[in-house]
Amino acid sequence: MYGEHGNKLVQHAKRTQALTHLPPYQTELVRAVAREVRDLDRDVAHLLSQFEGSFNPSQEPAIACALLVDHLCMRRNKRCLLAYHRVRAEKLEELCWTGVDLLEQQLPTAEEGAGGTSGQGMGGHVAMSSASGNHSSLSPEEEEYFRQYSDLLAAYKGQWTDIDLTGSLEPPKDLFIDVRVLKDAGEIQTEYGVINLTKNSQLYVRQGDVERLIAQGFLERLG
Amino acid sequence: MAFPLPRGITPSEISFLAEMETVTILPRQRLEGLELLGGPVEPLLPPRRASLPLWLALLLKRQRRANILPPPWLHPESLELILEIETKNDEYQHAFSPPPPLPGQPTPRDRRPPTTRPHYTPDGEKYYPAPPFLPQNTARDHIPPGEPPALPFHWLEVGTMLLEAASDDLVEPDQTRRLLKELREVRMAKIRSGVDVLDAAAMGGGGVALTGVGAMELGEGRRFIAGVVDGLRRIGASKEQARREEMAEEMANGGYDGTQDYEDGEMEF
Amino acid sequence: MSYYDIDAILTDSQKLPCTFELEVPGLGILEGNPGENIKAGTRIDLPLWLGEMLSIGARLGTSRLVTLDLPSALSERVMNALKADPRTVELRSLAPHFYSLSERILELFEEEEMVEVLSNTFKKRSAEIADHAHNPQGALGQGADFLRGLDETERQLFRVAHDSAKETRIWAGEAKKK
Repeated sequence: MYGEHGNKLVQHAKRTQALTHLPPYQTELVRAVAREVRDLDRDVAHLLSQFEGSFNPSQEPAIACALLVDHLCMRRNKRCLLAYHRVRAEKLEELCWTGVDLLEQQLPTAEEGAGGTSGQGMGGHVAMSSASGNHSSLSPEEEEYFRQYSDLLAAYKGQWTDIDLTGSLEPPKDLFIDVRVLKDAGEIQTEYGVINLTKNSQLYVRQGDVERLIAQGFLERLG
Repeated sequence: MAFPLPRGITPSEISFLAEMETVTILPRQRLEGLELLGGPVEPLLPPRRASLPLWLALLLKRQRRANILPPPWLHPESLELILEIETKNDEYQHAFSPPPPLPGQPTPRDRRPPTTRPHYTPDGEKYYPAPPFLPQNTARDHIPPGEPPALPFHWLEVGTMLLEAASDDLVEPDQTRRLLKELREVRMAKIRSGVDVLDAAAMGGGGVALTGVGAMELGEGRRFIAGVVDGLRRIGASKEQARREEMAEEMANGGYDGTQDYEDGEMEF
Repeated sequence: MSYYDIDAILTDSQKLPCTFELEVPGLGILEGNPGENIKAGTRIDLPLWLGEMLSIGARLGTSRLVTLDLPSALSERVMNALKADPRTVELRSLAPHFYSLSERILELFEEEEMVEVLSNTFKKRSAEIADHAHNPQGALGQGADFLRGLDETERQLFRVAHDSAKETRIWAGEAKKK
């Protein structure tokens, strides 16, 4: 039955919507669906070849039916492919907004694949070629999409320096809050002066100044 | 979609909006008047009472610069009465206790329709103020006898925030807390059991009255109720479509469409 | 938007019986016999996306090439069970996207009584869902069976009811944010 592979892809997409991370890209399934579309197209060409351009559907209802089936299956496969990729792209965007760096996360698996050669100047992005047995969750196109989307988002945020567009969406409750420092982080500059972040010290600070630090895990809110 | 919050408004957002409600305070210190974006705040001269937005009142209370005077509905006696109306009154078995009357709305006591001066925006357009811009949470010294207590739109948010920050300014805070919780449970149960009448809302042109429901309760029920109404709409969609096509056909064929005020025959002499 | 809507795509993959009025060569793959012909009068379960368009699109003169029947999920037997007690029927085992399927079927067939039965079913089951979502122990015993039988639309309704209630409880200080 046509469309089975497409169906499986869409079910993967449905599952992905409920997850907080991106599962591996289904390269084999995608290839299978694309292959089916090519086969259907060949079938259409084959069916039409005997008519040499002058096909009359009302005279050949059975052939017309077969052509319709081929056409509908191709359209269905296309829809499944597009929907699968779109769900994943939306997930990528979501993760980008929450500050997750997917490209960094892909590195450990590539290193494992390369036989465990640890950090000898392998900083930055390792070239993910399919030849070296790519175990990453993202397809190469998705990685590129993520890279460019991050740049886009950073440029957008950069226009306003005193508001963090990717920050917390909770309405403020208190102007000043009590926090405890979890890690040493040196000095930070605020509108009212400098704050020294030494581990385990407690501070009474403006919520707006320290929101980012709480999100990054440097500070813990008390009370 | 990259936006993480679901459709609708979150409880903390509802609570944030409710902080714009005006409340009455008793200042303990002098404070100069403030020109805030939302409007001017009068200077505070103790022991004169003043009206402030709730968020500012809570800030001053926390800094011990003022006490908050609770509104008349936030009192165990009023809440008991309202709870009785919600549970024992037959008329309100499936409806909610009536909200405080809006300015311009007649109350049962009025013998003549009330006259209110209309409000105008700086551009000269008429508008009708709604919560949180109505004086539903200010303290009142004299309540005319026979006026029933009513829960204002932001009752749960204002009640919870005052209990949290100013329980020493309230009468019997523990009792008040218990009554608020009970009211909340009774009313949420009514919303849940009201699922049955929602198909009136799903039909074209129909609707269900939600008079008296509070802001936080609407927020909690919004997604579920909308989901049910949408589900019913979709099940009946084909039937509704057929009905509309029939109506359109009738009107196209010159059928009686209910807007004709007189018969054609009357025009002749 | 519904072109990309995953639930709409999955709904359309649900099957309904299709009868071919004419012999069609080479489409045997639809029955699982690749390369074979489909004989006239053959009845096959085809997915909605294929069956619907074949029925509308393929003509033999003025009559249809393919005629459709109601899927078993919406049979008279099921309707009767729903009329008796909608809460005991396991919709999910009939069709994972039961209500969406019925929406599509009602576009193709005129079934006024079905609309009534399904509206009533939806209302009764929604009321039950609301109770389970509010009651935290709803997942035990009888509750578990009912919740397992929810179709996709109802599952989303349950999630929404549960999450809204939980959010409000957290705000009121009656529950802790995890």
